[in-house]
Amino acid sequence: MRRSAGLRHFLLSWLEPLSGVVALAVGWQIASMVAANPTLVPPLQTIWGALVDLAHGDLVNDIVASLFHLAGGFGTGAILGLLLALLCARFELVAAVIDPIAEFLRPISAIAWIPIAILLFGVGQGVPMFLIFYASLFPIFVNALDGIRRVDPTLVRAAEMLGASRRLVVTHIVLPAALPAVFAGARLSLGVGWVAMVAGELVGADTGLGYRIEYFQEFFSMEGVMATIVVIGIIGYLLDALLRLLQSSLLRWSPAHGGSR
Amino acid sequence: MSPAMRIGLPFAVVAIVLVAWEIAVRASHTQGLVPLPSGVVHSALALTEDGTLFSALGSSLERVVIGFAIAAAIGIPIGLAIGTVPVLDRTLRPVLDGLRGVAPIAWIPMAILWLGVRGDAALFVVAYAAVFPFILNTSEAARRIPRSLFHAAESLGAGRLLLIRSVVLPGALPFVFTGARIAMAFAWGSIIAAELAIGIKVQTARRAVAGIGQLMVDTLYVRRDVDALVLYMIVIGIVSFLIDSGLRRAQARLMPWTQR
Amino acid sequence: MDAAMSKPIIRLDAVSKTFQAPRGGGMVEALREISLDVRPGEFLSIIGPSGCGKSTLLSLVAGFLSPSAGEILFEGKPITGPAPERGVMFQDYALFPWRTVIGNIEFGPFARGVGRRARRDKAGELAELVGLKGFEDRYPHELSGGMRQRCALARLLANEPKVWLMDEPLAAVDLQTRIILQDELLRLWGDGVESADRPTVVFVTHGIDEAVLLADRVVVLARRPGRIKAVIDIDLPRPRAPLRSVPEVARIVDQLWSVIRDEAAMAIAEEGN
Ligand SMILES: Nc1ncnc2c1ncn2[C@@H]1O[C@H](COP(=O)(O)OP(=O)(O)OP(=O)(O)O)[C@@H](O)[C@H]1O
Ligand SMILES: [Mg+2]
Repeated sequence: MRRSAGLRHFLLSWLEPLSGVVALAVGWQIASMVAANPTLVPPLQTIWGALVDLAHGDLVNDIVASLFHLAGGFGTGAILGLLLALLCARFELVAAVIDPIAEFLRPISAIAWIPIAILLFGVGQGVPMFLIFYASLFPIFVNALDGIRRVDPTLVRAAEMLGASRRLVVTHIVLPAALPAVFAGARLSLGVGWVAMVAGELVGADTGLGYRIEYFQEFFSMEGVMATIVVIGIIGYLLDALLRLLQSSLLRWSPAHGGSR
Repeated sequence: MSPAMRIGLPFAVVAIVLVAWEIAVRASHTQGLVPLPSGVVHSALALTEDGTLFSALGSSLERVVIGFAIAAAIGIPIGLAIGTVPVLDRTLRPVLDGLRGVAPIAWIPMAILWLGVRGDAALFVVAYAAVFPFILNTSEAARRIPRSLFHAAESLGAGRLLLIRSVVLPGALPFVFTGARIAMAFAWGSIIAAELAIGIKVQTARRAVAGIGQLMVDTLYVRRDVDALVLYMIVIGIVSFLIDSGLRRAQARLMPWTQR
Repeated sequence: MDAAMSKPIIRLDAVSKTFQAPRGGGMVEALREISLDVRPGEFLSIIGPSGCGKSTLLSLVAGFLSPSAGEILFEGKPITGPAPERGVMFQDYALFPWRTVIGNIEFGPFARGVGRRARRDKAGELAELVGLKGFEDRYPHELSGGMRQRCALARLLANEPKVWLMDEPLAAVDLQTRIILQDELLRLWGDGVESADRPTVVFVTHGIDEAVLLADRVVVLARRPGRIKAVIDIDLPRPRAPLRSVPEVARIVDQLWSVIRDEAAMAIAEEGN
């Protein structure tokens, strides 16, 4: 009795999400049959064919190039954002200069920088990297600074009372206390950065998944475009899932994040 | 730090940087390749006179508003549905997460194919970008309404309509509004990208398609006017800032019970 | 005993503390001309109405704040900042949420550069001593209030401080837990054991009976600005734990209550305004 309930639960946990995907696929297939022109809504088997071709061709290179752009831009953006936040928290003067500038730049979408980025770096790796850098910088800076400023001062006192040096207070109290906020910023920026990256590659680069879309469009290969979109969706989803996993394992101590969910 | 310094200091720093920039560009004779602060001011004066900037801005904003409205009309009902019906949530979430992972701009080729280059394709991209914040925040809002609130209101003898008006809406509205704020930011960001991408494709053929993104493509590839490009960027920044702070202020005024 | 009396471990000499109220408010005089000698090895309780400056006084001795006027000496030398020799137990535990029980206990030795093995062993022993065996790898949010308090105590003990500065450590736990923790606190301090290197305790509390039961002397603070209203010797024999239900304790509590009653009444009247 109990066992069959467990089995049922297990099956459902797979069937339910699967049924959503299947429904989407069926809907698409029907649309492709109804459509006047097969290029308008390429049927699933053609998309699958294009996906297989892509997998035998440039797919790995495209993915590696995109992840390289992402790592470069996100890495520099996150590090600079954290450093700036620490500086702003430590020196009031720095904060007085950086804060208003950040407040102005922050609402500007990274994508809007594409023309400037093309102007600055020319078509190539620089454009997507710069866009991701820009997309990561502000969410991480703003969240980290907020996190640092909200560090409970008694925790700092507790550490000092136990004999911690200044440096130790920063590395072992301030940074871990700010970590949940930093993570929230990182997830936000990775989402925005992924979108900006695809856009940057589409119009301002000659490598990566975004460029692959552009490439297929040149040849009017809509099934190629759709195959690439599928890949972009899956990788975008996986990246967020990965970060979520990292978040809940690193923030196991935080009642709001880790532990039971 | 005195309030005067608080305001004056950032301006002073920015001014010093700009002057240094101007001197550096002039000294290295790279005008035309690198934007020049004084050149930006010049093109600002020229462009406000001939009005192209404002008409482009107007048509972009129009698309943002329409795309935003479409996203709200689609996103809020979906969000309510998956927020209140758990089975729907479990079946649709992976699909939605997957679709969300696709950069809206990636749909440009399909959107052009389906809707044409005349602006409807850009509209599609805008609506696509803006729909997810609506779905996510509305479903979260619906999910967060505590069951106990329903019970409490019911035991006080409140009818269904009153329940929705007095319990569900005040609890859910702030979330939905936050979603709308994010959606607006996404919409405005992606209209520029969409117009850019479409603009690059139809650079010379169809100049009639106006919008700030196309204007930038034109400036970058045809007129090669780097100063104007920076000016457009500043305008985009100001509009972004105004949209963001305007919506924040509206939220604070309309829903004073929200934190932040 | 007399020799120890002549040389205080902590001396407050006409200490005043004035705060600048936040957001352009006026000045708040929290403490005025507090003079007090704390003897080595004694258990001193401080009681007084809410807001009279008890936490401020502890923060001054801990070195988190410096006095606006007057001087505070620790073993004859002025206090310049927080140091491990003066351990603090905070009103709200102040455990590091990202560290496990063991991680919290070993933080002091870690900060002072004790090697990994040695500090781990010591933290393990202390966890057992305060009754946290089996909970070593829990995070603070997974502990009950009483367990957090034990953890904070073990963290303080790990540094072997000469002075324990305790700010209402038992205020937030339920009555049964409080009784148990009082007894354990006395045991860990060395109640009834004559020893030369017994730590000195400055224990802030709201509970008059708690102060009487634990302390050698009770300092009563008057509020706004905080001044010393009375210092009362508690001449009860040690160990104290068995005295909990002795009528003598109740008599002293009554006596103390009459000293502070007017103060409390005035405080309530002021709050009403
Ligand atoms: N950092 C500060 N800035 C301004 N005023 C302060 C500050 N810290 C304490 N005060 C004020 O000093 C007075 C004494 O505060 P303190 O926290 O020492 O009281 P307390 O006796 O510990 O109260 P409680 O019993 O509620 O813990 C209060 O009026 C408080 O508002
Ligand atoms: Mg206090």
